[in-house]
Amino acid sequence: MTDLAITIQDLRYRYRGEKTPALKGITLAVERGEFLVLMGASEAGKSTLVASLNGLIPHYHRGKMKGEVVVLGRNTQEYSVAQMAEVVGLVFQDFEAQLFSTNVELEVAFGPENFAVPREEIARRIDESLSYVGLEAFRHRSPSTLSGGQKQKLAIASVLAMHPQVLAMDEPTTDLDPISKLGIFEITNELRKRNDITLIVVEHETEEVLNADRIALFHEGELIKVGPTREMLEDVALLESMGVMPLGIPRFFKTMGFEKPPLTVEEGVNAFQERGWRISDAKYEAMVAAEKADLAKLKKPLIQCRDLKHTYPNGVEALRGIDMTIMQGDMVAIVGQNGSGKTTLAKHFNALLMPTEGEVLVHGEPTEKQGVFKIGQTVGYVFQNPDHQIFSETVFDEVAFSLRLRKLPEAEIKERVAEALTAVGLAGMEEDDPFSMTKSGRQRVAVASVLAARPEVLILDEPTTGLDYAEQRGLMDMVRRLNQEGSTIIFVTHHMWVVAEYARKVYVIKDGKMFLEGTTREVFAQEDKLKEAFLRPPHFVQFSNRLGKTLLTPEELIQCLDDA
Amino acid sequence: MDTELYLDYNTVIHRLDPRTKLILFAYAFIGLVLYEHPLWMVPIALLILLQTALARAWINLWRLRYLLFLLTVWGIVLWNLFASGDDPIFWFVSEQSLLFSIARTILVLMMIVSGVNLISTTRNEELVLGLIKLGLPYRVGFALSTSLRLVPTTAASLQTIAQAQRSRGLDLEGGNILERLRKWLPLLIPVFISTIRSTNIFGMALESKGFGARPDRTFYLQTEMHRLDWILLIVGGVITVVAVYLNLLGYGDIPGLQRF
Repeated sequence: MTDLAITIQDLRYRYRGEKTPALKGITLAVERGEFLVLMGASEAGKSTLVASLNGLIPHYHRGKMKGEVVVLGRNTQEYSVAQMAEVVGLVFQDFEAQLFSTNVELEVAFGPENFAVPREEIARRIDESLSYVGLEAFRHRSPSTLSGGQKQKLAIASVLAMHPQVLAMDEPTTDLDPISKLGIFEITNELRKRNDITLIVVEHETEEVLNADRIALFHEGELIKVGPTREMLEDVALLESMGVMPLGIPRFFKTMGFEKPPLTVEEGVNAFQERGWRISDAKYEAMVAAEKADLAKLKKPLIQCRDLKHTYPNGVEALRGIDMTIMQGDMVAIVGQNGSGKTTLAKHFNALLMPTEGEVLVHGEPTEKQGVFKIGQTVGYVFQNPDHQIFSETVFDEVAFSLRLRKLPEAEIKERVAEALTAVGLAGMEEDDPFSMTKSGRQRVAVASVLAARPEVLILDEPTTGLDYAEQRGLMDMVRRLNQEGSTIIFVTHHMWVVAEYARKVYVIKDGKMFLEGTTREVFAQEDKLKEAFLRPPHFVQFSNRLGKTLLTPEELIQCLDDA
Repeated sequence: MDTELYLDYNTVIHRLDPRTKLILFAYAFIGLVLYEHPLWMVPIALLILLQTALARAWINLWRLRYLLFLLTVWGIVLWNLFASGDDPIFWFVSEQSLLFSIARTILVLMMIVSGVNLISTTRNEELVLGLIKLGLPYRVGFALSTSLRLVPTTAASLQTIAQAQRSRGLDLEGGNILERLRKWLPLLIPVFISTIRSTNIFGMALESKGFGARPDRTFYLQTEMHRLDWILLIVGGVITVVAVYLNLLGYGDIPGLQRF
């Protein structure tokens, strides 16, 4: 007899005020000790399903629920969220909002305290959970002083301290840099080995789910398919059609006609060598030379930093002497660990921050002499969270905001808004309410509102965070089009595949210094150095590095294959 | 973003039981609010500043310097409107009303300083625990601490939002009052919306950690009254009783002052 931890029977749910249901009849059983990953595009219903595991649905959210969810014998209809919390732990994507204590120990103590666990036992559980996630050294620190990865680890520890039998995590790694992501996945891996804990994780990053037992694929509120991890990841076409990023390695081998493609770097290298394939040196050199020639066409420096230093009023040295030059017409990525100083650097490009030492020149003139208002017309900055800037009732007003501030004639405003909305793919949605749009829609409105000012440079801070694979591609394709039409693009990101496919040059920042710079190919060739900066190229690039050449996409590899 | 007021030091004031600090805060209020004449407030004001010195909390007063300055100027002028006396100086200001204004301004400033002393040296959780041990229901105490927690996070998101809108060309300076108020809309709406969003997640996280699962809960944090706590409570109590007694005898009033 199998021992089931979770049974979901024909679960249907519609949030109040929504026309379409979020879940349309889900039936799923999860065994005790299993590690199940939920994947799917935005609005697929993954988060709704997670929220229904501990009774947030139907008790916390308002809406209409049918069917039933039973977790370890507790029917969510009959038990309160607090009662379910005794067996189901939940970790959210937003690590800022789920931490509320002023010190690490107290954060972990909060759950057990609510269940009236004796004080000595709480002390024991604090030790146990903190050492599990590797945060013992931080026990007296304030959570607000931790890095993003540490905060998410703390959130996990605070849930583990309640000794849950089911642990559900809703996109726990979305806002983290690659190595912090790995840290979280190492913890999940440890947990997976335990039989007493059932793991449910929502994840976008395909590379990180290889250790799962099964993958459940959702689309628009329906469970499309659930199966063993390997089988699911091999089905490149299915993943792609459901808006989930397929792995680069199986994508390449599928194109080459494999029925059962290898998944990991190791398997890929073996299969490649078994077939006796070779990468042509001549073709590779030609490709690299063409790329260099293209970059050499960019001759006019647009943004220059000279020994740029920035110290915040509280004494934190965020930038410690950066020299760099960004050419007009380039498309560059700035990468680095959480807290490395990359956002601080980007904010100097449009004078939001001023150097405390050294200087930043835009078109040869120091930003200090120009000021935000003037530079804003040359350098547009799209903030990470679109909700930090949207305030208008209609999309039109939002996009026109900057133009009206600059007192342009109404006719020109109309023309520019239309142009900007066309560029982001929102033409005809002028009268829509931006607040009711999806995250990706709001992100596009934010980009359009900056584009409308017709800046020469567009800075995007984490533009793809919180979007699904199809949306990420859509947004970055649009950005690339702007680059081809002449705009200079600078983006800050954690998503290494976005860097691999879209950046022409990469700047790696570490501890406030320029750690590595070069073409994307040059930078991704140096895996060891990247690791020191807590970064890691995508699996596919690692695979090609093992083959001796740095190739950024399956298409490039196919192009460089030796015909002989 | 550095917006928290708590200072992670280990001073003698930090080590006091939160209950002691809360009661000293109450004593300070009683001792100050009685008197109309500023001179009579000086001893208690000095004691509060001594507490600031011992707690090494000057940095927080420095952070609030603009607010404190504004309150001083406005206070000394505006309180004159609420009182009058026999010896006019000019327009609505008389000798008595001016003294009274200075006294009220000292009251406001010293209550802020006393509050800063409390918050600089007491963790949010300690404060709540202190209040609960003084008889406040847990849920009320928790709600209070949550609203305290919202202040630094909201301030931080306001900062980011202001940067976002400035880079779109918003200039917060200049214009008349009405125009300035309108300029704040692009800041306030996103602050409001993002606060609601994060509060929603906060609520979910709270319930998911079993908030209110049992009628009684344990507290990991322990507070203990030491000898110094009792000494301070007794000494403070005596000072407060003396202050009340002197006031009842009629000291510390301003002769000829009329309050409205």
